[in-house]
Amino acid sequence: MAEHSNGRSPAGMWVFPQADQITAQVMERTTRRCKPHTIALVVAALLAALGVVGFLFRVAADGLDNYNAWGYYMAAFSFVFMVTSGAPLATAAFRFTKSHWRRPLSRVAELFAVVGVLNLLLFIPMVIVLPAIENPTFVPGMEGEMAARRAIWLGSSGVPFGAPALWDILGLVALAVTSMAILWLSLMPDLAQSRDRVSGFRRTIYGLLAGSWHGTKRQWIQHKAGMMLLGGFYFMMVVFVHFLIVSDFAMSLIPGWKDSILPPLYTLIAFQNALGLLLVILFILRKWGGYQEYIGISLFWSASKILLGLTLLWTYHLFAFFITFWYGRLEVEESILRYLMFESYAPVFWANVIFSFFVPFFILLWNPVRKTAWGPALAGLSALVGGFLFSIRIFVGSFNAVDFKEFPGELYSLGLTRARIQDAVIPDLWDIFMVVGIIGAAALVYLAAAKLFPVMSIWEVKEGAMYQRMGKLFRGEYMILAKPE
Amino acid sequence: MQEGRILTATEVNRDLLRSILDTPRWFWPVVMALGLVVLAAAIVIGVMINRGLGITNLNRPVVWGFFITNFVFWIGISHAGVMLSAILRLAKAEWRRPATRAAEVLTIFSLMTAMTMPIIHTGRPWRIMYWAFPYDFARGIWPNIRTPLIWDPSAILTYLTSSSLFVLIALIPDFAVLRDRTTGISHQVYSMLSLGWQGNPRQWKLQIISGVLLSALILPVFVSVHSIVSWDFGMAMAVKSWHSTIFAPYFVVGAVHSGVSAVAFVLILLRKAYGWQAYIRHEHIDALGRLLVVVATGWFYFFSMEVIFGIYGREADEIAVRTLQFIQWPVSAWTMVFVITTYFIPVSIWLSRYCRRNLWIMSFACISVNIGMWLERFLIIVPGLANRQVFTFSWNMYSPSIPEIIIISATFALVAMFMLLFSRAIPLVPLYDIKEGDILKTEIQIGRRAVPAVYRED
Repeated sequence: MAEHSNGRSPAGMWVFPQADQITAQVMERTTRRCKPHTIALVVAALLAALGVVGFLFRVAADGLDNYNAWGYYMAAFSFVFMVTSGAPLATAAFRFTKSHWRRPLSRVAELFAVVGVLNLLLFIPMVIVLPAIENPTFVPGMEGEMAARRAIWLGSSGVPFGAPALWDILGLVALAVTSMAILWLSLMPDLAQSRDRVSGFRRTIYGLLAGSWHGTKRQWIQHKAGMMLLGGFYFMMVVFVHFLIVSDFAMSLIPGWKDSILPPLYTLIAFQNALGLLLVILFILRKWGGYQEYIGISLFWSASKILLGLTLLWTYHLFAFFITFWYGRLEVEESILRYLMFESYAPVFWANVIFSFFVPFFILLWNPVRKTAWGPALAGLSALVGGFLFSIRIFVGSFNAVDFKEFPGELYSLGLTRARIQDAVIPDLWDIFMVVGIIGAAALVYLAAAKLFPVMSIWEVKEGAMYQRMGKLFRGEYMILAKPE
Repeated sequence: MQEGRILTATEVNRDLLRSILDTPRWFWPVVMALGLVVLAAAIVIGVMINRGLGITNLNRPVVWGFFITNFVFWIGISHAGVMLSAILRLAKAEWRRPATRAAEVLTIFSLMTAMTMPIIHTGRPWRIMYWAFPYDFARGIWPNIRTPLIWDPSAILTYLTSSSLFVLIALIPDFAVLRDRTTGISHQVYSMLSLGWQGNPRQWKLQIISGVLLSALILPVFVSVHSIVSWDFGMAMAVKSWHSTIFAPYFVVGAVHSGVSAVAFVLILLRKAYGWQAYIRHEHIDALGRLLVVVATGWFYFFSMEVIFGIYGREADEIAVRTLQFIQWPVSAWTMVFVITTYFIPVSIWLSRYCRRNLWIMSFACISVNIGMWLERFLIIVPGLANRQVFTFSWNMYSPSIPEIIIISATFALVAMFMLLFSRAIPLVPLYDIKEGDILKTEIQIGRRAVPAVYRED
């Protein structure tokens, strides 16, 4: 029989706490007053308020008809969207692969579904500022301009109804609804067993959300099947919506940019960022949140290998993009490389590569560092900075590739030429307010959700504790892991 | 309950060495039949060298046809070895154990076969030397090292070398078992190959560390090989539909898709041929089927991106190629066959647990994928070249000649023959891996059920 001690087994392997202690411990930590958490909530609320101020001043100064002014807003939205849309996927993917170490990570990731609703609100100004696909200044026979800019939406009979705004919003709605459904389904068993341990509004909410969950065999089978189906659907949706966002709000706004690898590149950095943020949150929960006996080093060790894989994959895709354009030597491709990588946004690009590749790679390369909590968290933090810089480079760059106010027809031209490469845009005060405001608002929503619901998936951790034992094999003592399916 | 019973070391040695120590009655007739096909191809190649490439249907503008398609196909199959062996080893997937050796060996033989294709394609194979070495100092004509056509041989040879090393390192403990069970020349050869293996803790430690290190080191090589093959096309500006940034990952995922399907089929054949039902079990084929659902869907995503962004540019000549691929008869029919056989048929099959565990249905699905993937390469290469371009003085669609068909068929016979002959010398299911897996297997009691379990070191 296993030693379910709080911490490490004699053989140096991680075991979860005893199953019968888990509900009480997690609920006690969820409901107790926590001063750092309150301070974080207040700071996030203040940042969100700054964002509102920045947004109002930006509208007053530039209006919603010139998209050039909204590059930093889009970059901040993209960053929050990348992270929060990718996070629930971590749960689905690791559940699909039956990774035992995922259990303490699941709920931390699923709670990002709540931020998905915020994403929807943040996205609305962007669909308003996005310029029309059809060229308003086009006259048949015009030299150098097209009837419509390149976009994924142009069919044989013109732009489909509502494209791109309606379809992009519908995509985000589908993502938000699916991730909320995953969260609700996952929460159900936890809320059912915790509703008697809490009081006040929590009790009402828990009772309402838990429904008629009694934990019968049939309910558990349906629960697991539902989670798998929703996870699979979410995975496909998230990849599709990333494709929509990066095509409509980046590629299509740089004349002549035709780049089939951009959607997977965007999706990969989103997954890398999401896992990076999860590792940072798990590090905080382990270090200061009182969950040290739940969040073991084995989680950081295993997740860091995935993070290393994602880092390498992202770099590989970036290299594939670069080398094809580099050797292509078309004027438009050369101009795009100069604009986004080597001239206008060169400092941002190199910083992006350093934080998204070099720093995480050299941290995660070392097994002893992967076997710590701080190493993977530090790599995750670096990946987040890199992801933010990537969003700035791609979206601020795309939103300012042509001077739309002065020369609106350029957006509909055949391709970016060397003579028309714009300088990089430096953020003004309202841009900075909006960026910190969007990040602050996302943090506020997440922190509130983390106070309301348990951040540990109680049923999954219990299941994990049930599936493991310690046992002797020859002269050593090892963990025995049940593989029931 | 465990799906297979835990076997003793004696049983494992007896069963898995059967392919080496006993010769089944079907063995030599099958090898001879395959050898005849290879011989026929060798004669055709001889004629081709004598009379020139004119006996093939390669001509302007389609100068890359069946040979180059087949080259890309076999390079793709070679990706199964690393995918299954290195990645699953690093991921500590228990079900990988019976599949790794066959996958690694298939990698080596498919790579060797792939390498013959561009050589045959030159028509004058000795001129391949000019490709790698400068030959005209006086006029300063040097090979252009900035072309993927030069990177290709380096990448493939590096992959072949590292894959061979990977197989040899994994074989050492099994060679030692064979050394102790053979006599005469065989004994001497296996003694030499087993490098003094005694199975002491230090040797095991070194063997495991080198296996893990090689797994990690071979991964970048594995990715680079098919990426570079894809850039043979991706960096060619003159041919519309080839210049696409997604080609590298698209080719790699496609290679894994066809390669893993091929390995699943080879495993089913080995199970049947050598009676290895206790080793290559339904659960292993089932796991491969589940893995293939993910790989196939990833491949379909990259395929969709490639097509969508091909049309996205709305350039007339690119649209013309896509029209040829998707609308014009008969290429459009092949495209439909390719998409259906590569994705829709196999994935529909793999979604069902019953089908994943039915070996006939699984074989059909795996063959279907490889037919589709072969067609995919053909449909990337030929329509781009056959497209009617402005100011082109001649054009025609390509159809293969009989000599080309014979040579291509022989490559399949060659790989099958090499695999069979190799199975006479080494066990295609790794003995030590199976024994280790059986040691680590156990059961634990959860409530009223005895649940299968494994010992974990992490």
